[in-house]
Amino acid sequence: MDARAFPGLDRLSTASGLLALGALGALPIFFPGKYLTGVLTVAAIYGLWAVSWDFMSGLTGRENFGHSLFIGVGAYAAGFMNVKLGFGPWWSLPSAMLVAMAFGLVLGIPTLRLKGPYFALAMLSAAVIMQRLMLIFWEETGGEEGIQDITPLIKDHLHYYWFVLALLGASTVSLAALARSRWGLILRAIRGDEATCLAAGLPITRYKIVSLMISAAFAGLGGALYAHYQLQVSPQLFAVVTSITIITMVYVGGIGTIYGAAGGALLLTIMTEGLRQVGEWRLMAYSVMLILIIFFLPSGIIAPSWQRLRKSLGGTDRGLVGGGPAG
Amino acid sequence: MSAPILEVSDLDKRFGGLHAVKRFKLSVAPAEIVGILGPNGAGKTTIFNLLSGFIAPDQGQVLFRGTSLIGLRPDRIVGLGLARTFQLCRPIIGLTVLENVLVGSLGPRVIAKNLADRALALLDQVGLTNKANSPAELLSYGDLRRLEIARALATAPELLLLDEPFAGLGAAEIDALSTLIRSLHSQQNLTILLIEHKLREFMQLVSRVVAIDFGEIIAEGPPSTIVNDPRVIEAYIGRQTPVPTHA
Repeated sequence: MDARAFPGLDRLSTASGLLALGALGALPIFFPGKYLTGVLTVAAIYGLWAVSWDFMSGLTGRENFGHSLFIGVGAYAAGFMNVKLGFGPWWSLPSAMLVAMAFGLVLGIPTLRLKGPYFALAMLSAAVIMQRLMLIFWEETGGEEGIQDITPLIKDHLHYYWFVLALLGASTVSLAALARSRWGLILRAIRGDEATCLAAGLPITRYKIVSLMISAAFAGLGGALYAHYQLQVSPQLFAVVTSITIITMVYVGGIGTIYGAAGGALLLTIMTEGLRQVGEWRLMAYSVMLILIIFFLPSGIIAPSWQRLRKSLGGTDRGLVGGGPAG
Repeated sequence: MSAPILEVSDLDKRFGGLHAVKRFKLSVAPAEIVGILGPNGAGKTTIFNLLSGFIAPDQGQVLFRGTSLIGLRPDRIVGLGLARTFQLCRPIIGLTVLENVLVGSLGPRVIAKNLADRALALLDQVGLTNKANSPAELLSYGDLRRLEIARALATAPELLLLDEPFAGLGAAEIDALSTLIRSLHSQQNLTILLIEHKLREFMQLVSRVVAIDFGEIIAEGPPSTIVNDPRVIEAYIGRQTPVPTHA
């Protein structure tokens, strides 16, 4: 067996990940067009949101139903910095991450002590409240209109897509590596039994809060990237439906695996767009496919398929990060 | 006798109308094996929960190597060197046996270079080496007890609290487990406090027994005198009442 306590990322996974990124990056070269590039950019941003959700909620089992809050504050931070305060667009990324982290800290301290479904409910409410606050303080936030005329980070759409894709790759690799470190083991242990973790001498609330802050930082980064793609922000960013969509993507990809979440997000975003061809049947087709996936593949599509492929490629089975229901 | 490693005085806890622990006191010397004896509901586990910080006492003092544990979180207490097992085994579901032990070594007390080797050595010590990579939830009851002990040992404790380690085990498993506890004590000078029912192996293992009933100490002394103590017998079997003789 492996004599190291924490396996880290192996070569086969890294190589396949790079290959997948390369293929995704090459797609708009073979099928040029603003439409496909746009879909892929949004898909990659959703990927970032999904991996950030999976890092905290997938590993610890504390399902965050208010992830859109971190997305929204990240996007608004970008809008404020860029439009209201007049900073250059590149300042958006670090400030969005910092603001989202601060929200993660302030919300995590009271909510992560809660047991059972209360964390999920508290986060859901927090996102709804933030959306209302954007309307109440319309003089600062622009109300329903939000903040317009945000400067693009990169003018060329294809280049911007590549930039977002590279950030998705870097974030997935960092979070997956973190999930395979002692940190990840502690977060998965928290998912298993909090009392046992305390008896093992681990300050579990601190671990949960810091993991929520890390999750928030990457969600905020995604929010800022989205703001600089749409070139505007609106209260719609805080919508609960965004959080639910992200959670669905993670489940379809394979919860607790990080890379599975990215795959799930790409798959569902592209599937949604592909279904536009069936017109008004789109929502129904989408729902039926989702039900079938969750019914027949409860541990998701992406992560279990990759595990099978990896075995057939001769990769050693070192246990799936997160394991989760996939086991 | 050297200074006590654990000194408990006037420990008191009520749950609503139930006076679970009444003015409990205990002094444990380093490298001693002390047993707390009592029937079901006597307050044994509550005492462990109070000592390990899982429940706050209403009053009383707990000194571990001179440091008060009152008001400390359970993980801080483990960090000071007092580890416990649970009566109902609590393996971490979703992790392997090895990972369960590793979790115990991620606290502040352990500064080993190779945590996996250390965890494997602990599994070897409790006899679970061949199950290192199986999911913890697939272990048998006896193996779960060993896992509990391995995880507690992984925190590098100076005082180990064992909550009914023999409960639900067969005779052979009880034998093996008391051999393990004895070797932990003799080889590593570990101080051990264990709670259990009246059980021959338990009585042979401990050097001193504190018997409790209804949250109160009813007798204290070496096992040989405790087993014959009328109050202990009464707590377990009940008082002998004269049988009415009229026909």
